[in-house]
Amino acid sequence: MKIVEEKEPALLKRAVRGDEQAFLALYQRHQSSLYRYALRMTGSPWAAEEVVQEVFLLLIREPQKFQPDRGELGAFLFGVTRNRVMKHLERLPREDSLDAVNGNGNHWKEPEDPLTPMLIAEKRERIEQVREAVLGLPAEFREAVVLCELEEMSYEEAAQACGCPVGTIRSRLHRGRALLLAKLELLRDAPRRAGAGAK
Amino acid sequence: MMSCEEFERLGLDMDRPDATPEEAALASEHAERCPDCNALLASWREVKEDLRLLREITVLESAPARVEMRLKQELRTRRESRVPRSTVAIASWALTAAAVVAAAVGWFHARQTVPAVNGNSNPLAVRSVLPGDASTVDPMLLAADYDAASFTQLPGSMPSVSSDESVVQVRIQRGALMQFGLPVEPEQASEWVDVDFLVGEDGQPVAVRLHQESQGDSGPQ
Repeated sequence: MKIVEEKEPALLKRAVRGDEQAFLALYQRHQSSLYRYALRMTGSPWAAEEVVQEVFLLLIREPQKFQPDRGELGAFLFGVTRNRVMKHLERLPREDSLDAVNGNGNHWKEPEDPLTPMLIAEKRERIEQVREAVLGLPAEFREAVVLCELEEMSYEEAAQACGCPVGTIRSRLHRGRALLLAKLELLRDAPRRAGAGAK
Repeated sequence: MMSCEEFERLGLDMDRPDATPEEAALASEHAERCPDCNALLASWREVKEDLRLLREITVLESAPARVEMRLKQELRTRRESRVPRSTVAIASWALTAAAVVAAAVGWFHARQTVPAVNGNSNPLAVRSVLPGDASTVDPMLLAADYDAASFTQLPGSMPSVSSDESVVQVRIQRGALMQFGLPVEPEQASEWVDVDFLVGEDGQPVAVRLHQESQGDSGPQ
């Protein structure tokens, strides 16, 4: 059977026995989504790197913590990542990258748009502002925005990831949106509906 | 009809794939009628566009290569420090087998060398008889039997020259006589026989004789 076709519990079993190929297959399948989530939540490539490393070290050292009958490996890894991120945020509420260089030393991918330099600069500023505003949200509202708006999860998926009811996710997203709008309104000083949700 | 409060709570979901058609329709209808909620919707759609751009610039992000290197190193370290399960299994079996063999050798040795007491089933049941002592011994075996000429000298032993020897009566399996250098037919080795050992003053047997009535005995009584 090709490694791409193997089920993950079988791959994990082989990985635990020292099969590097099996482990790398699991790593490549999951690391990017976990890294992106950690990056979007912490705003720090270094923190995201540390979180991903910790998550996979746990998988190597304590594979018995994953129980196949309780769910998919991806969901398990996401849960561990989420816990690590929340612990990180408790210690350091927010870390900002001072520039747009990511963990690989590359600059952020520029939005592809055939615009003039001024419009490009304006767009970059807007992106940075919304990024600042998201990172400025309290952790539980930030998570709802990250999962539902950036990760594009459905309410059901986001609720499962957070281990809470759909209604809770919707409520947190509603609150997160309101705070985002209020923050951006202040940053951009643009006319918005007064008191729109920021109660 | 949807109120402004409901629109703030639910209306901004109208663009989401998981919004119900009924909610989306009600929200759309309300936004058309209410300028404030329409402005709120417009503001939110701008922010959604900015969020989309933020998502785009991070969508290709992944952990740096050094994370993979560190994890590979961890795997290799754990693999090298692990004793192969086959080695552990073989060692366990070897130890167990050695213990069993040692116990068997010890048991066999103990059964061959420990002198038996009258009344037990030890194949080396022994009664020590001194010349002239008729009180404890079957008179059939004692008395005039003590005739050195009727004894067979054991290989490697010196003929007794003193009168301090004693006769030791034993009931043993014929095969035990091989320990004293005497030949025994293999098919007769398990037969129980009554023998007398002539024991010198040093305590070592020097000669042996077989009781004729022991011929063909099958075991101790």
